[in-house]
Amino acid sequence: MAERLILCIGTKKGLFIAESTKTRRKFELRGPFRPGVGVYSALIDQRGAKPTIFASSCCPFFGMKILRSTDLGQTFKETKSAPAFPKDDGRALANIWSLEPGSGKRDLLCGVEPASLFRSNDGGNSWELVPGISNHEHARQWHPGNGGLCMHTIVREGNRVHLGISTGGHYLSEDGGKTFNASNNGVSAGFVPDPYPEFGQCVHKIATHPDAPGRLYMQNHGGWEDRPGIGVLRSDDHGHTWRSIAAGLPSDFGFPIVVHPHDPDTVYVVPLDPATRTCPDNRPAVWRSRNGGDKWQRLSKGFPKKESYFTILRDAMTIDHLKSPSLYFGTTTGQLWIGRESGDQWDCLFDSLPPINCVKVAVV
Amino acid sequence: MPASIPVQIPATLRSECGGKSQLIVSAATVGECLQQLERDHPAVYRSVCDETGAVRRHIHLFVNNDLLSGENSFETPLEPGDTLFIMPAVSGG
Repeated sequence: MAERLILCIGTKKGLFIAESTKTRRKFELRGPFRPGVGVYSALIDQRGAKPTIFASSCCPFFGMKILRSTDLGQTFKETKSAPAFPKDDGRALANIWSLEPGSGKRDLLCGVEPASLFRSNDGGNSWELVPGISNHEHARQWHPGNGGLCMHTIVREGNRVHLGISTGGHYLSEDGGKTFNASNNGVSAGFVPDPYPEFGQCVHKIATHPDAPGRLYMQNHGGWEDRPGIGVLRSDDHGHTWRSIAAGLPSDFGFPIVVHPHDPDTVYVVPLDPATRTCPDNRPAVWRSRNGGDKWQRLSKGFPKKESYFTILRDAMTIDHLKSPSLYFGTTTGQLWIGRESGDQWDCLFDSLPPINCVKVAVV
Repeated sequence: MPASIPVQIPATLRSECGGKSQLIVSAATVGECLQQLERDHPAVYRSVCDETGAVRRHIHLFVNNDLLSGENSFETPLEPGDTLFIMPAVSGG
């Protein structure tokens, strides 16, 4: 079978799958799977002989489920169980924010609300709490942001594991996830008196690239007049220290941050007005740096030129790995956009989906 | 003496118990009823109660027409002829 491009689109009203040939000219949509139930995270796991799609199904009525598809998103079934806190823990699962591959072939990692990490070693059928972060001495001091107290980002980098917690900050494990330390040197917060607290920052997203070990990019909660430039950051030492790369952007507030698959110096953000969480001047644009954040370029070809109030959430932008990659983002007003030629040309693929929480892509 | 109590299952939860709209449990209180659901129908139980044992925020339990609320609701006695209703709370507007 010829290679296909699969998009997982997690929305407030269920999971959609869009499929295309590698030309990416036309996408066919199916779904929603688990209609009416919010999907906040998805994973297209390509480690096995056949890709497996996982998605969280976060029902405020009946609780959280993990969905799994072994037929490229034609059908989904629940895994045998979903993450759950031990009975005597006192915490109850409120949402599932991230799903990532673990170190073993069938290992999965899952970040949840209230901010905690779970691990599965059987493809999602059973889950155990990862105590090194979930029972960290700081854990009961973290506070929820507007989206809840969520562990939304899991980045594995060899034996290192980076976690993004809102609002907890960046936590780093250098022993494969056994123990974690707050690692926020240079990561500021605009909502506490101490501009550089040890932990408690509102990290929005962290991205890395396999060809640049130690390099990380972070979209932090910026947009503070009194503390400018704290929103877009870079680390070159595995997240031990961070520095601002926000100069030249119209706003340092935003949610997603994405790295080009073939060039670790090329990074994308979507600056948003901090008050409205929509594009500055109501004119959508993605911003690209080709030199690791030193200079930024506005990409807007194909977007509306006025009266557009896009909000793109932290997991709602991604990029495929084809030779000339395309970006994809979904908006909370239900539009799914493709940025062809590495973001030079934008087209709307679907314009009336439910509010979009997350977008994942893979060539399968 | 435990009574034989029908538990009405809402349509949205029937997939968790083989499509049944009603389960019969033997229980003297609402708490005992939930314990039996946890033992015999864990998927239904997990959809009704979270891992702390609390009834989920958007679920309401009724004994006959009486909405259960408050700290002591699990101690509500059940008698022959009573029915426990599991209902999704109203949402939207």
